[in-house]
Amino acid sequence: MAENSNQRWINLLQEPVDITSAYRFLQTPAAGGISIFVGTTRQWTDGQETISLAYESYEPMALKEMHRLVDLAENHWPVHRTCLLHRLGKVPIAEASVLIGVATPHRPEAFKASRFLIDQLKIQVPIWKRELFSDGQEIWIQGANLPDPPNS
Amino acid sequence: MPTSSFKIRLFSVLKSKLKVASIELKTTEEITAGGLMDLACEQYPPMAPYRSIMRLAVNQKYVQDSNRLQDGDEIAIITPVSGG
Repeated sequence: MAENSNQRWINLLQEPVDITSAYRFLQTPAAGGISIFVGTTRQWTDGQETISLAYESYEPMALKEMHRLVDLAENHWPVHRTCLLHRLGKVPIAEASVLIGVATPHRPEAFKASRFLIDQLKIQVPIWKRELFSDGQEIWIQGANLPDPPNS
Repeated sequence: MPTSSFKIRLFSVLKSKLKVASIELKTTEEITAGGLMDLACEQYPPMAPYRSIMRLAVNQKYVQDSNRLQDGDEIAIITPVSGG
């Protein structure tokens, strides 16, 4: 395989995120660094206990936005492999809800691309989290920012 | 001017408030993304408190409120997302 042929694995999952498979996918001789960020479901937020957590998505659009973000990352940094996985439906406490993985020649761009992808995913990709708290409250969580139209 | 009909997909908090996954709006005038969201809030008052945090997605892409809509566009109202 040519060194410059980038590969990506982008998916929405109903099953647990398989971190080992993601790592295997990211391995390439072109990379000197692989960064894997895993977002997990937190039990306590500001003294409130979360009992369970579920994600819903506008799936076809979510996949398109994930691809668009990877396009942007590939335009900014020499990213040889990218992995963006998000789990949907119920995710038990402490399990992985999202995985961002990048393989780059050197570590600075691995950290930068990974940070960009998770930060942008949390603003742009149409996925929403519903939390059930121990006091019986069940609420949709809303992000702080409206998603941006491209090129705005 | 013929009537245009728009099916609008709803998610998250809007779907919960309205208890439906989509609504249908008709208009006899050309309409922008912002205009369609205003109309949705008029016809479905439980949506109105969320008007300032709505973004329209047309054919699975976010658009500015000034964007004009075409008959047959796939439309969804997106409130701030919370994946991750």
